[in-house]
Amino acid sequence: MAISPVYALRETGQNLYRNFLLSMATVITIGVSLWLFGGFFLFNYAVDNATQRWEGGIEFVVWMNPEATAEQNANILDAITTSPEIQDYTFVDQDAAFEEFKDIFADTPELVEVVTPEVMPPSYRVVPVDPDADVVEELAGQFEGRPGVKTVVSANDTIRDIQDLADEVGTVFLVGSLILLAAATLLILTNIVSAIRNRGREIEIMKVVGATNWFIRIPFMLEGIMQALIGAVLAWGGLYVIDQRVIGRFSQPDSLELMAGFRVESDEFIFTGGLVLGIAVIVSVIGSAIAVTRYLDA
Amino acid sequence: MIKLENVTKVYKGDHVALRDATLDIGKGEFVFLVGASGSGKSTFIRLLNREEVPEHGAIYVAGKDIGTLGSWKVPYLRRNIGYIFQDFKLLPNKTVAENVAFALEVIGKPRHVIKKQVPAILELVGLSQKVSSFPSELSGGEQQRVSIARAFVNRPLILLADEPTGNLDPQTSVGIMRLLDRINRTGTTVVMATHDRGIVDTMRRRVIELDRGVIVRDQARGVYE
Repeated sequence: MAISPVYALRETGQNLYRNFLLSMATVITIGVSLWLFGGFFLFNYAVDNATQRWEGGIEFVVWMNPEATAEQNANILDAITTSPEIQDYTFVDQDAAFEEFKDIFADTPELVEVVTPEVMPPSYRVVPVDPDADVVEELAGQFEGRPGVKTVVSANDTIRDIQDLADEVGTVFLVGSLILLAAATLLILTNIVSAIRNRGREIEIMKVVGATNWFIRIPFMLEGIMQALIGAVLAWGGLYVIDQRVIGRFSQPDSLELMAGFRVESDEFIFTGGLVLGIAVIVSVIGSAIAVTRYLDA
Repeated sequence: MIKLENVTKVYKGDHVALRDATLDIGKGEFVFLVGASGSGKSTFIRLLNREEVPEHGAIYVAGKDIGTLGSWKVPYLRRNIGYIFQDFKLLPNKTVAENVAFALEVIGKPRHVIKKQVPAILELVGLSQKVSSFPSELSGGEQQRVSIARAFVNRPLILLADEPTGNLDPQTSVGIMRLLDRINRTGTTVVMATHDRGIVDTMRRRVIELDRGVIVRDQARGVYE
């Protein structure tokens, strides 16, 4: 016979109430660990978005004037393709630049509306043979000021530093969150073992009168899952604050040029939220399952 | 209803709790298990409820070898066996009615069935006026009646009682035995472990005596001795 949802929820609620302090500790630990875990993802998304144009070995970008003539464009292309110091390049035309712009500013439609492909500068994204900073700077300088060239931007040390820093901060977030998730799993386990011991007589009666193992287990497992889900909701709130107050600050018009594009897209935020929820369920099922199989079965 | 064939139960340290026990208990019988402490009475009862599994031999309940039952089938076996404890084992935070209803609720009985069966069984055990009382507000005899109501509310085929009068005074014990006798007359098989000489001698039912795990006497209409 199936377990009644009313019975399961009532028993789960009673377990949570009886173990209120331990439940709170578990919820907070899960919330903080999931917040850090989700924060790691948001931070990585933001850094990836900000440094997207520097991925794949690209060391400098030659931005052309939108009004550059075909001859001026041909001269620059010729200089790039004949240079023995350049390994590879990608030409981003005005339409592609406009698409990229729309991607970056997808959350700011008012900005996208006032821009058209004609005003977007086409660019050459260049991969030099030697990525040494001095060599790149000298090579990039050869294009500066040439007819039709608007500006040349190189991936300087600051951007490299940001990427390195992001990697280190991300690693700290990830390791910290994984340790806390392990602690949360143990807390869920401890919480349920405590609930099982508190209800020893009830469990004994249930077994004697013929309750099935699953009937006895389900309220305890639901208890762990409820704690994790509440923790996940807290983590979502924390991630929203990170997105709006921390990452969002860098994408303001008056922020550093360097940090333009340091943002998290809506779909990335939703994916991170889903991931946090999934991890919450996995962690709670593992903790609860160990507790009920190890401490509940006769 | 119950059949033991050469059943032996050995605990850790080679302590033999039951040795080569063979017997039959028919449907509707009332059987006293007697013997000194440690003679194997509680083990006998725990084996019938599949809380223990014998090292040798076979135990049949209602024609089924319960030693070979899969663990997932054990709860369904226990729904046909009521169990009465010496120390009642009532849930202190539940009322009389809730304690009895709990036994039905946890085996998934629908609410309308519970609402019908609980008042009926409380009427049978004489506790209709105490449905909303908590165990702490009841006498020992009343608590044991609740325990009996909980064991019998699902109308099991067998009722196992492990020293049900062990914590009660003689007068209260008589009331409990009358109740068990009444339940037995409905066709329920009752197996009761006891030290209470007066009860066994008064009721004159079948007596199985155990001594260090061995059945030394199986007597119809017996006395304690």
